[in-house]
Amino acid sequence: MMIKEIITVILLIVGCFFFLAGTLGVLRFPDLFSRLHALTKADNLGLGFIAAGMALHIASPWAVLKILSIWFFTLLASSTSCYLIARFQKEKEQPTDRKEGE
Amino acid sequence: MSVLIDSLLAILAIYLALQCLLAQRLIQTVFIFFAFGLALALTWVRLGAIDVAITEAAIAAGFMGVLFLDALRDFSPAVSKKQQNLEAVRNPLPGNDTKRPILPRLALGLGLVLFLLISLEAVWNTPEGKGLTVVTGVMLPDSGVEHPVTAVLLNFRAYDTWLEIGVILMGLLAIFAAGGKEVYRKSGMTAEDPVLRQVILFFTPILFLFGAFLLYFGKSGPGGAFPAGVLWGAIGILLHLGGRPVLTVIPRWLLYLILTIGPGFFILLGFLLMTTGSTLFEYPPAYAGILILIVETMAAISIAAALTAIFTNLNQMSEEPDKIESNN
Repeated sequence: MMIKEIITVILLIVGCFFFLAGTLGVLRFPDLFSRLHALTKADNLGLGFIAAGMALHIASPWAVLKILSIWFFTLLASSTSCYLIARFQKEKEQPTDRKEGE
Repeated sequence: MSVLIDSLLAILAIYLALQCLLAQRLIQTVFIFFAFGLALALTWVRLGAIDVAITEAAIAAGFMGVLFLDALRDFSPAVSKKQQNLEAVRNPLPGNDTKRPILPRLALGLGLVLFLLISLEAVWNTPEGKGLTVVTGVMLPDSGVEHPVTAVLLNFRAYDTWLEIGVILMGLLAIFAAGGKEVYRKSGMTAEDPVLRQVILFFTPILFLFGAFLLYFGKSGPGGAFPAGVLWGAIGILLHLGGRPVLTVIPRWLLYLILTIGPGFFILLGFLLMTTGSTLFEYPPAYAGILILIVETMAAISIAAALTAIFTNLNQMSEEPDKIESNN
């Protein structure tokens, strides 16, 4: 029991660290693309670690499945929105580039 | 420890609310409003009102946020020069001119004083006993559901819930009245982006399933028609944004039918029950469970259609500013 709790706490702390790093990146990075990078990558990892920690803490099969699906869907949604925002910004910056590429 | 978390949450919610009101740019207001909705949802969770938290997160933070974002249009942090000028004209920054109108400050101050007074009142005059919790617990076996909140919403106080569904319909009617109702069009709405299209197609069945789960789970736990309706409405909004506007596919009479079937069935059932000698919305205990499930399903369908129609109409209204202006 003791070891399980220690691992849970470690996972949660690592998750919080990634969230903190991601937030720092959003606040400090110079342009939209690097901020997006910091936000999505770090937050997905942070949420993954926190989800793993909570799954270990609750340790009932259904709850684990639900927590993991929350993580998976958030991963999918946030990476898609990251891609969309980045594409929007890129098209706004160079409106002619994309038409030539296609 | 929990006192610390609760106080931090309370301070955060009030701080975000103030920031939301005082933010200088419209875009900041919208994003702080998102954060405020989530802080409020967390507060409801801490207060033990999971139903309210789900609805708050779904409608206030989710749906209202989508509407605000749609109203903003340009939501990249680097605001275009044109929009910046536009905003500067509309709401001049407070630093530049000292002659800021006194009325907003007065309203804000009055609101704060009122809020303070209400909080003090709530702290000093906590009700004796447990309020209506005991009564609800006693009546719960007759309600047909196991979750007290659902029992109150769909059985004991069903009339209030019926009116709430009506409020959403009234909102849609106001939008119809302001923007005209013939605006759905197909052309130029194809999603050019394969990633977006695939993700939307992937999320559609999941959102539907999750909505159905919340709907059915509502009888024994937090959930019910409103969160389910919002999730199903999200399907419609996503499909609309992804270039498959659902409202162009179905005929208009079907849309009206779907919009009114929830409140319509609800009130018809109430009147039918009255003919058997009971009062409005007094379900016979033997059939209460199944009746509530049917009512909730119909209500969720109507709410979903209404939210989709609200978003679609506002979306197309903001896409055609010339047309709206000429109408005015």
